[in-house]
Amino acid sequence: MGKKEDISRRDMLKTGGAVAVAAAATGILPAAAAAAKEGVSRWAMVIDLRRCIGCRGCTVACKSEFGAALGRWNAVVKQMETGSYPGVKKHFLPRLCNHCAGEKDVPPCVEKCPQANAGERAKLGGVSYRTGATYKRPDGMILLDMSLCIGCYKCIEACPYGVRSIDPFSKLTRPDREKDLGVGKCTFCAHRVDKGIAPSCVNTCQGGARIFGDLNDPESEVSKLDKEFNLVKNRDKTTLLPGEKTQPHVLYIDPAGVLAQYKIDKKTKEAEFKDQFV
Amino acid sequence: MANLTRRDLMKIGMASGALLAAGEGFKSPALAGTVKIGPGGKDFSPQTGVERQAIPSSCWQCVTRCPNMGYMEDGRLVKIESNPNSIRTEGKMCARGQGGVSHSSDPDRILYPMKRAGKRGEGKWKRISWDEALTELADRMKKLRDAGTPEKFMFHYGRMKASSEKLMKDAFLATYGSKTGAGHTAICEGGKWVGQELTWGKHYDNWDFDNTNYVLNFGSNVLEAHTNHIPTSHRLIRAKVDKGVKMVTFDVRLSNTAAKSDEWVPLKPGTDGAVMLAMCNVIMSEGLYDRDFLKFVKATKNKDAPDDEKIASLKAHLAQYTPQWAEKISGVSASKIKTLAIEFARAKPACLLTYRGAVAHYNGVENERIAMMLASITGNIDNPGGRCKAVAASWKFPTGPKDKPEAKKLKIDDGFKGQVAYPTHHVDHQVFKMIKDGKEGRPEIYMWYCYAPVYANGEIQETIDILKDESLIPFTVCSNPFYDEAAALADMILPDTPYTERWDWDGDVSPMQIAEYQIRQPFVKPLGESRNLMDVACELANRMGFPLGFNSMEEFVTMSGELTPEVKALGGIEYLKKNGVWHDPNAKPKFYSYKKEVKEEELKAEGVIYDDASGVYWNWKKSKAKDEAEAQQKGYAHTKDAYKGYVGQKIGDKVYTGFKPDILNKSGYMELYSELMEEKKFNPLPSYLPIPEHEKMGAGDLILTTYKAAVITQSRSANCKWLSELYHDNPAWINPKTAAGLGIKTGDKIKVKSVIDEITTKARVTEGVIPGVIAISHSVGHWEYGRYASGKKGPDASGAHDNDPDLKTIWWEDRGVHPNWIIPNSPDPIGGQQRWMDTVVKVTKA
Repeated sequence: MGKKEDISRRDMLKTGGAVAVAAAATGILPAAAAAAKEGVSRWAMVIDLRRCIGCRGCTVACKSEFGAALGRWNAVVKQMETGSYPGVKKHFLPRLCNHCAGEKDVPPCVEKCPQANAGERAKLGGVSYRTGATYKRPDGMILLDMSLCIGCYKCIEACPYGVRSIDPFSKLTRPDREKDLGVGKCTFCAHRVDKGIAPSCVNTCQGGARIFGDLNDPESEVSKLDKEFNLVKNRDKTTLLPGEKTQPHVLYIDPAGVLAQYKIDKKTKEAEFKDQFV
Repeated sequence: MANLTRRDLMKIGMASGALLAAGEGFKSPALAGTVKIGPGGKDFSPQTGVERQAIPSSCWQCVTRCPNMGYMEDGRLVKIESNPNSIRTEGKMCARGQGGVSHSSDPDRILYPMKRAGKRGEGKWKRISWDEALTELADRMKKLRDAGTPEKFMFHYGRMKASSEKLMKDAFLATYGSKTGAGHTAICEGGKWVGQELTWGKHYDNWDFDNTNYVLNFGSNVLEAHTNHIPTSHRLIRAKVDKGVKMVTFDVRLSNTAAKSDEWVPLKPGTDGAVMLAMCNVIMSEGLYDRDFLKFVKATKNKDAPDDEKIASLKAHLAQYTPQWAEKISGVSASKIKTLAIEFARAKPACLLTYRGAVAHYNGVENERIAMMLASITGNIDNPGGRCKAVAASWKFPTGPKDKPEAKKLKIDDGFKGQVAYPTHHVDHQVFKMIKDGKEGRPEIYMWYCYAPVYANGEIQETIDILKDESLIPFTVCSNPFYDEAAALADMILPDTPYTERWDWDGDVSPMQIAEYQIRQPFVKPLGESRNLMDVACELANRMGFPLGFNSMEEFVTMSGELTPEVKALGGIEYLKKNGVWHDPNAKPKFYSYKKEVKEEELKAEGVIYDDASGVYWNWKKSKAKDEAEAQQKGYAHTKDAYKGYVGQKIGDKVYTGFKPDILNKSGYMELYSELMEEKKFNPLPSYLPIPEHEKMGAGDLILTTYKAAVITQSRSANCKWLSELYHDNPAWINPKTAAGLGIKTGDKIKVKSVIDEITTKARVTEGVIPGVIAISHSVGHWEYGRYASGKKGPDASGAHDNDPDLKTIWWEDRGVHPNWIIPNSPDPIGGQQRWMDTVVKVTKA
């Protein structure tokens, strides 16, 4: 299960080479390609809408994993009805933070965070990076450090998807901001993934609709699905709000064209990121 | 919001409830191509990165009872997942099972024994000690026992299965001497079971989705709320996507199951039988039947009928049920019925599903018999990929003292005389009417457990009135972890533990025909003074002077582990404490059980005789017959409990295990032709029974249908905050065409009125329901059950407290409206199932 000791040098060379090829083939961004060269993962979630039955196992798995407050979610499932009786269809659309690569390697939330570089320098694999209140790890995860956050909430405004919200259970710790609340969103369960365990929502998903893995590993399930369904290259059809050019790492298998019918209004984007079973 | 403090369950120094990536994560970088993401079975704190202690146990949010895994942080239960080693769940878990994590910490939980301090139902309570509670209860019970009237102690239970059922019924109640009781199967799916007991003998059908080619579904919401939900639903969706298995769902409503089907075919409520009969008609007349299987089918009065005679009999019977006839009744087009019938028959192996949509009707038992006919003539019975006989863990257990009194009972759980032909799963919803009536006697002590009769039954006001009436029931007592609508009507409440704090052995139906053994063990010690009722029963037995030989459920479970060969071979219960589940890795899936030939020596065993009328070999000594002469004279069919001695069915010159009876004296054939039905003046062959109320509907009348939603159980999970947050309101579904006629729009307040009562609720106009129907879900509309369910705090004496930061963030005010106020308690005349889906209503704008 991904213990460092288990990895032989040959394996690393092999995957490193394959990764470089894969990176070139999918046309991913320079920083990501550099990360791949250094043997760093590129985490992604594929959501196969054929398999989602709207059970909300993911929603509750996420709420309990993080002890999330009532009224806020890191993962939701949206429902839609289309067509008319008796030809009516009902669709389910699981949503979470898209862990965007960003148009120029910087996703909008990180771009707008005044504290994005306020943290210490850290290393992942061979890649050095700087942490911040909102920052991107070289493996693509968009993470938060509330000890650095100043509570300006610009990241909430910046996210076109509305997946960030004020967390009533999170108080800021900076001496000048102790009365302010922090920000919450999905972390791709970095604390689990780093220990070799699937994200909480993926682990429980009964339809197997959520598939998590490393796009830099050609043998991973997500890479195979990317190849089969052309998910990354075809991101205009496989991601939410392609017009925002955020380059999400959440990719949908969507034969029924659900994404195209789902609208996110700028004014209501945060209220929309809510889960109500109908 | 700003003055909220951090929740105290996260006792850490750093202040990010959202996430601190600057923890362990940095120290263990993930390397490309090397990180294999594991399937779970572990969990870590997002705040500290510290591994959470994992304890394997079992869920009990719904009757499926999936193996689960609890994760502990600082001694508190913070998360529940599935057990990745379970072959039933394969590591998957629904929202309900995971939402159960908040039972233990529910701020409205009952933590202390209580006695009422005002009138019954007035809501005034005083805390009492366990000694005071058990002294009074044991005194009252012992008095009845000493007077020779133990039957005046009545025990009414809901979800009490596996070891709980055995300890309580087989050991405690049997030794005490009362069989006065009732369950709740008749308000669930009892009619389906009676239909199965009349045909293939035993109740419960497993659907083998792993091996099927086609799924035809009448009224099962298998992807949301089946009695074996996760084990079957995740396999079904996998079969659909990975293997392209086609699925067709007949339902009055676009459930999530219907939504994920290849086709949703709406039909008028209660007409499933008509459509299935027409499909049988098509299959027989097109010659698509499975001739081989007919060998094991009884299709005429003649038990030795050759196949051709059986075919002729079925064809003749089915001739009346043409697709054109069914179209008029169901609204489903004749061509659609024909097409699907042919597809189903040709798709072998194919799986036929039925559930409450088909069986919670006046004609429910007949609909299930028709389903058995449709599965039989296509050869999709107990075969890989078909409708299979259930396989589950088989535990042995201690039953208490050997010398037991002859148990007595009040005959109040099978309905009024002549009301129900074969109430083998009882008529629990008539119990209160029968208590009021009084002709069969009344209990002096009414105790209930894991059941809220005033919420779960229909006709709520009447049930409340009877349970409240001290002249009808002198003493009421319940064991309950939560202050629900029924607990509010108790004279005494014993604080039970939620399932997260209990011991049990378990092991329910396997989706792959291989038994899995599992246990339930406490994640945390019982909070406050709560005690599981099974432990309390052991103490009551001691106090009344009939010790059971074990003093707690934990002891009972350990002893059962020693008595059960499979578990003993593992080293006893310790293995299951560590692993949670076990199955025999060498076991083969069990199919075709009926084809097994009975050995010659079994036929020659002491007491075994041949019944020429039925072709059954049976051991009269296991029946109630006085002697062999009486057994011969009365015959197998008419000797009480003859089925208990069933050995095999003679077919041709061989004797087969056949379709073994479980509770009725049926033969070993798959009985499509039922002499048991004939004796009760019903058509022996499965037939269409129109629903009387639906035949008399006036202009503008609608039919009320009810349903369960995927994220909450019927009556026992609305206290779970994350589930109530997802589902707390239930506006009534109504088709735009119907709504337009009534001038109703989404959000409008509407009155829904039946012959017994009326409710005011809201409308949700949706294309996802057939015109002429109004669909209202169960599970919400609570008026007790604590603040997450109803907004109402539990009594102070119960230990209800405000020390839960989530209470301040409850953001919803709508609590929904329960439909059961307006649904009469009324049985299917054959099996006694509550007719949830038959109520005719008038709907008007309020």
